[in-house]
Amino acid sequence: MAQMSTVETSGGTRGPALPAWLKSGLLTIVAVLIVMGVWQVAAIAFDVPVWLVPKPSDFMARFVSDFPLLLHHAFETSKTLLMGFALGVLIAVPLAFAITSFGALERGLFPVIVFLNIMPKTVIGPILIVWFGIGPLVAVLIVFLMSFFPVLVDSMSGFRAVDPRLYYITRSMGASPAQTFFRIRLPASMDHIFAGMKIGVVKAVEGVIIAEFIASSAGLGYLIMRASGFMDMTLMFSGLIMAALVALVFNSGMSIAEVVLMPWARRSQ
Amino acid sequence: MDPQKNQGTGASIVARDITKIYGTGADAFHALGPIDLDIKPGEFVSLIGPSGCGKSTTMLLVSGLEPISQGHVEIDGKPLTKPISEIGIVFQDHLLLDFRTAIQNVMLQQEIRKLDKADMRSRADALFEQLDLVGAEDKYPWQLSGGMRQRVSIARALVHDPSMLIMDEPFGALDAISRTQIRHDLEMLWLAKRKTVLFITHSIEEAVGLSDRVLVMSKSPGCIVEEISIDLPRPRPAHLGEYPEFAVYAKKIYTIFEKLGVYNF
Ligand SMILES: Nc1ncnc2c1ncn2[C@@H]1O[C@H](COP(=O)(O)OP(=O)(O)OP(=O)(O)O)[C@@H](O)[C@H]1O
Ligand SMILES: [Mg+2]
Repeated sequence: MAQMSTVETSGGTRGPALPAWLKSGLLTIVAVLIVMGVWQVAAIAFDVPVWLVPKPSDFMARFVSDFPLLLHHAFETSKTLLMGFALGVLIAVPLAFAITSFGALERGLFPVIVFLNIMPKTVIGPILIVWFGIGPLVAVLIVFLMSFFPVLVDSMSGFRAVDPRLYYITRSMGASPAQTFFRIRLPASMDHIFAGMKIGVVKAVEGVIIAEFIASSAGLGYLIMRASGFMDMTLMFSGLIMAALVALVFNSGMSIAEVVLMPWARRSQ
Repeated sequence: MDPQKNQGTGASIVARDITKIYGTGADAFHALGPIDLDIKPGEFVSLIGPSGCGKSTTMLLVSGLEPISQGHVEIDGKPLTKPISEIGIVFQDHLLLDFRTAIQNVMLQQEIRKLDKADMRSRADALFEQLDLVGAEDKYPWQLSGGMRQRVSIARALVHDPSMLIMDEPFGALDAISRTQIRHDLEMLWLAKRKTVLFITHSIEEAVGLSDRVLVMSKSPGCIVEEISIDLPRPRPAHLGEYPEFAVYAKKIYTIFEKLGVYNF
């Protein structure tokens, strides 16, 4: 089986000299266009009313005409997402380092964190609203809670997985603890930390829209919720498309950050 | 022997009754010793012995990287309490950092010791030339062959000109031709600088070809069973096998190994 698939992939790369990401990008666009086309034709053929299921031509027109509004809310959503995610990473990575360095923290603090993580984060929303009022801050906190845990867990396993013999190198050079951390431990754990951040960003994108549904006065989630109140189907669908674009931007951002921050990673395929 | 020969600039190493027990309780494993070492400044000493006898362990104890279970070590007359930093170490399995290029791995010495960057870079370049690593500077360890990785780790151990050098089977991953060449290069380097060298090897040819003294270890838990001074002129020739004096020393070590039951023919 394994041999079969290697043969196939090596055969595939011998085709036209397009980079892999461009090829998969083009494929995605073609697939989306086909789905939209079928949808459009079906909606016309069966005469589905716009207020029930809008045709692609309806919501794409809306997407264009209300683009400034959508862009404004996409920007708000991105801001919330970025702040919540950055907060999650900035707390999770040092905390993972502390937990893996001190056994007492691992035994005392980690179970509490695991318990907090089991709780559905959106349930905390109403409590946060009482404390901080409706607004982007609550959404930031929910995004933080959603993205924090995967980063923490993967960073912890990253810090643990470092080959202890690597510390021989720095110790024989008389390195300080800070030098050892920044030159060995952190870079050696980077691939694990990135794996956690990739999951974290997916959770954050998922969380930010839900957070804005329940607890915000701006952002795409808020816009979609409000459009729902007016049964404004085309606005809801164009909001959805914008949300997908925001998710795409953040996921690609992660991949770019990985290339920039980890130039040593094997990029064989 | 020429008395001036051992007027080295390196550090002296003295070890008394050092023993290593890995683990505790039921997992305790007596890996080494007790052994004594008396290495003079600028001396080139080889440690030779069967696999698993504790050679790498000896190196880790002497350099202060692993705690000593019993006994004590003195470097330049001072008791060893923390890892020695005036040292260059070639680890047995290279221990290069995957996230640094070849040259960055070597320049770690400069970064951590806060030495002059331009100066160290030119030293690193010279070593890369000498070790036939030109063109490999910006490659990551996974892009290098085993032998190249080993040579990068030799460059890392030498670049800051340490007063003491510990090399744990540094030529193990090299082919026979580069091995002979690099052995000669190391000897010339040592003749020029006279740093103290503790050289760990499996190879009788390397031990006799390089050392002032060869220490032969027994099977695990290793003890030093024999000490052989190698009284051959330097620099020593490439094809040692052709020289009768070499054959005498080699035979001596073989005989010891046979007596210890290392070889069973
Ligand atoms: N960290 C460790 N924990 C437990 N046992 C160890 C550890 N390191 C080495 N040992 C054991 O100690 C013994 C000596 O190991 P060491 O690496 O010093 O041998 P060596 O002489 O260098 O062998 P080789 O020539 O194969 O490199 C071996 O039996 C090994 O299994
Ligand atoms: Mg060894």
